[in-house]
Amino acid sequence: MRGPLAWLSLFLVGALIGILLVGQLRSQNRPQELTSLTAQELSALIETQSARNRELRAGLSEARDRLREYTLADARGSGAREVTEEDLARIAAFAGLLPVEGQGVTVAIDGALDAIAVNDLVNELRNAGAEAIAVDDVRITARSVAVQGARNMEVDGEEIGRAFTIRAIGSPEGLMSTLQRPGGIISQLEQFVDATITLTPVGPALGVAGAPEIMRLPATRLELQPEVARRVP
Amino acid sequence: MEARLRGDGRGTRAGPLSLALALVVIGFVGVVQWDSSAAREEFTTSAQQALARQVLALEREQAALREQIAEAEADVRREQDESEGSQAALEELNGRLEAARVAAGLTEVRGPGLIVEIADSKRVVPAGDNPANYIVLVDDLRDIVTALWASGAEAITINGERLVASSSIYGVGSSVLVNTAFLQPPFRIEAIARGETHDRFLAHPAFLGRAARRIDAYGLEFATAPDDELELPAFLGATRLRWAVPSGEAS
Repeated sequence: MRGPLAWLSLFLVGALIGILLVGQLRSQNRPQELTSLTAQELSALIETQSARNRELRAGLSEARDRLREYTLADARGSGAREVTEEDLARIAAFAGLLPVEGQGVTVAIDGALDAIAVNDLVNELRNAGAEAIAVDDVRITARSVAVQGARNMEVDGEEIGRAFTIRAIGSPEGLMSTLQRPGGIISQLEQFVDATITLTPVGPALGVAGAPEIMRLPATRLELQPEVARRVP
Repeated sequence: MEARLRGDGRGTRAGPLSLALALVVIGFVGVVQWDSSAAREEFTTSAQQALARQVLALEREQAALREQIAEAEADVRREQDESEGSQAALEELNGRLEAARVAAGLTEVRGPGLIVEIADSKRVVPAGDNPANYIVLVDDLRDIVTALWASGAEAITINGERLVASSSIYGVGSSVLVNTAFLQPPFRIEAIARGETHDRFLAHPAFLGRAARRIDAYGLEFATAPDDELELPAFLGATRLRWAVPSGEAS
């Protein structure tokens, strides 16, 4: 009787150990709960969330402004055509369907940058608030990605050479500081990639002699109307 | 007989000994578990809890803002539809506006496509190995999205966040921000696309180069499936350009 009892006890004890070990391992797994993020990570998260909430508030105020404009147009009896045209231009520019111009930064690259690095740069520029981006003369849309082609890197099917320029319209100061921050994308690329990367702010009164004051980005050449996706009425 | 007795004798001594050893191990593991929980609790009591509360408050504010934006956008569209003027001209203009909205990702869309799911590995991290290898990294999501767009996707969401021209996929520590949303694994990426996109995606170098290797090497949970009818929400957020001015006609 002692034999089976001892084995049973050992089995139960083993199971208990297993449960405790799993608990211990799980508690050391990914910090999914906010309280398990470090203070530094939480601070970074707050900063980012606050910035995004500011964007959302701007989006809300923008939608309410348009609503007011429609209401005013109705009251004046002038019709909504003008307001709708402005709305169309805004959305088309946002999507990359219209050329746009403005201040921002240029990132001139000469060297062995691969498609992943170019996508990371574009992602960083978007995160820093760039409103329109072009790689050489290819306007970046939601669908645009850099991939390694048969011979060279390609963006939207257009070959990109070893030397190329990324242009981004947005706050020159904001974009420059994000790209140049210690440990940021440019310092990482300079450390690991054999390439020369030159950042230039574009805008009036930036104190850069001979620097252009404005840049113009083309519209996308891609057809952005979906073939299989249908609008939900 | 002697052997049996000897054997019994060994069993008699070995049983309590094994149990004692096992109880020591339980005690050790239990104490470690309790201790680490207590340490974590203590660590998260003051400044971190205040920061975490701030994040939660920001998330609640975000949810409310998104709801208000959705309502305001619906009101704007109703105004557009009901506005007076030359009916034919307005219909043509509203048609162009609607097409631009669809192209920009500002409308809910429906269609066939595929679902990709990726989550942290369930493997026990071997001693000396980097635990970060066993969780989904922001690079994995970027590679998957790159491969999907390059394979012909027409619309993509990550955990319900629609990707548009201004969308970034950004890592904050081990967490991921897409648009304005703080996302947690498992990550569900839905893409509306033609039928062949599923196979193209799985064979695309942007996926095979890094993400697929990490999935294999570290056992990240991963699954894909085609779907006949997906419904992806519209992007909710700011679309007004403050720095970029539209110039000229679309090419």
